[in-house]
Amino acid sequence: MTSESGQPQPPDATLLARACDGDRLAFRGLVDRYAHRLFAMAASLVGNRADAEDIVQETFAGAFRGLRAFEKRSSVKTWLTGILIRQAAMHRRRESRRGARLVPLAGAPEAGLHGPSPTAVVDARIDVMAAIRELSPDHREVIILREFEGLSYDQMAEVLGIPRGTVESRLFRARRQLQERLKEYLD
Amino acid sequence: MSECERAQRLSACHDGEVSEAERASLEAHLHQCPACASELARLGKLSHLLSTAPRPEMSAEALARLHRAADDMYMADLGRMAKALMAVAASILLVCAVWLWRSGASGEPIEPIPAWETAATAHEATLATASDEQLAQWIVLDLERKNGHD
Repeated sequence: MTSESGQPQPPDATLLARACDGDRLAFRGLVDRYAHRLFAMAASLVGNRADAEDIVQETFAGAFRGLRAFEKRSSVKTWLTGILIRQAAMHRRRESRRGARLVPLAGAPEAGLHGPSPTAVVDARIDVMAAIRELSPDHREVIILREFEGLSYDQMAEVLGIPRGTVESRLFRARRQLQERLKEYLD
Repeated sequence: MSECERAQRLSACHDGEVSEAERASLEAHLHQCPACASELARLGKLSHLLSTAPRPEMSAEALARLHRAADDMYMADLGRMAKALMAVAASILLVCAVWLWRSGASGEPIEPIPAWETAATAHEATLATASDEQLAQWIVLDLERKNGHD
């Protein structure tokens, strides 16, 4: 792994060990390495930028608190993804209690999240994001973890805390719904 | 075999999550089942379509805020450690103070020296204060007593 300047970057395990020993810059290295990926995932899950930022921040706070307890059975990526999924679920419950609308209406993406698009209504990319946001939270999670993050079924099962068979069935049903909503692009 | 019976496994096959043996079995099935062949093709198209979806990017300002938050966490952690060390030091100080107070200022009267100890040490005191001349006399008397016995 190398940085933009060509300098070799220490592997995750090294950064993690240094962070455990109180190396502030090592923890920052993990933040730099995973912040963008986690933010994209959070934004896809909750549908707005501000909440996504909060969730990523809470994710790293959770990771910091759990640094010494991390047993290294899974990769750092899977570990952080698991924390983020839990934080997003907590966020969803809080918003639900407040009666907030979690999923923006299809065809009306939030300004600033996807950037300006002169053909927003017919743009396939917008339709895809809208279709994903119309999924239930459980189905949205598995689609994002599989299609965007490329996690294996075992990793998804670990991150979501569900059996592998449930991952498979949820993914199947989520894809069926997406196929139905996006059929004009698939036929 | 109908599409419904194998469709879920096709999804897993599309993800590379089936064994080699099952993959071979599914491939053989696809030659006989146009519905499943179509389903697999649609899964491929869907994945491609999803891959074109824009991924929201984190702004530089948001990353800077994240850095500050991470630094704050470390400082807070250091503060907690310092407080813990201070608490330990204060505890040790308190224990020492109590021990000193109980051993030095307990108010108990000093025990008198027993009579036998006074008597035993009196001769030593006499010896310690004896002059060289007296010591010489005692030695001579002692030698004379020994010679008399012989």
